Amino acid sequence: MKITVRAFAQFREVVGEVTVLDLPEGSGLPGLLAALASRSDESRNLLFDDQGAIREQVIFMVNRKRVPRSSLDSIILDEGDEVAIYPPVAGG
Amino acid sequence: MITITQEDFDPGVYIDAARDRQVGGIVTFTGIVRDDSISAIELETYREAALQELEAIRDEALSRYALQSVDIIHRIGTLSVGDHIVLIVVGAPHRRDAFRACEFIIDRIKETVPIWKKEYTNEGSRWVSGEHS
Repeated sequence: MKITVRAFAQFREVVGEVTVLDLPEGSGLPGLLAALASRSDESRNLLFDDQGAIREQVIFMVNRKRVPRSSLDSIILDEGDEVAIYPPVAGG
Repeated sequence: MITITQEDFDPGVYIDAARDRQVGGIVTFTGIVRDDSISAIELETYREAALQELEAIRDEALSRYALQSVDIIHRIGTLSVGDHIVLIVVGAPHRRDAFRACEFIIDRIKETVPIWKKEYTNEGSRWVSGEHS
């Protein structure tokens, strides 16, 4: 299934602005991040810590809805979903 | 009105527009680019999500406080020292609600709206780190 990933701020500079990933059916956010991380060491270091855990600074939205940290593992993605990843916001 | 724009704005225009027979006070917050030894800042947004979030913040302010109007304008793009970044205009029958709502709105913007700042200095550039993950 095709999932569109949009990245912002320093994440955009490393991962790219828009990436379309072809993921297996039933994939979730950890699988999506692993696919992004496999593209470069810089991406892996940005998204995962030394123990392989998703860094706390990675914020997710799925179809423009913020995903709470506690739901990271439970979300199943669907064909055509838009996932956004970004660091803590700094507007205002 | 909720807007994300590259264009500058005149706060006076929005203050005048908030005048109404039911309004006894208008409180505004204007965020501007401070001189932290920078030459410019660049603001980036996830526009669709940011507009949605700004609308949710406005709606929450309207439900928490007795207000007549809420306007939020946030700029993006490249800005220089002294330029406007954000304008919040809150009109209310009474000042207390207007003050509290205005502070609530700017605090929430800094916590949740997907907008980021990059600062440019003589040495290069750096992203401003957000406080809320």
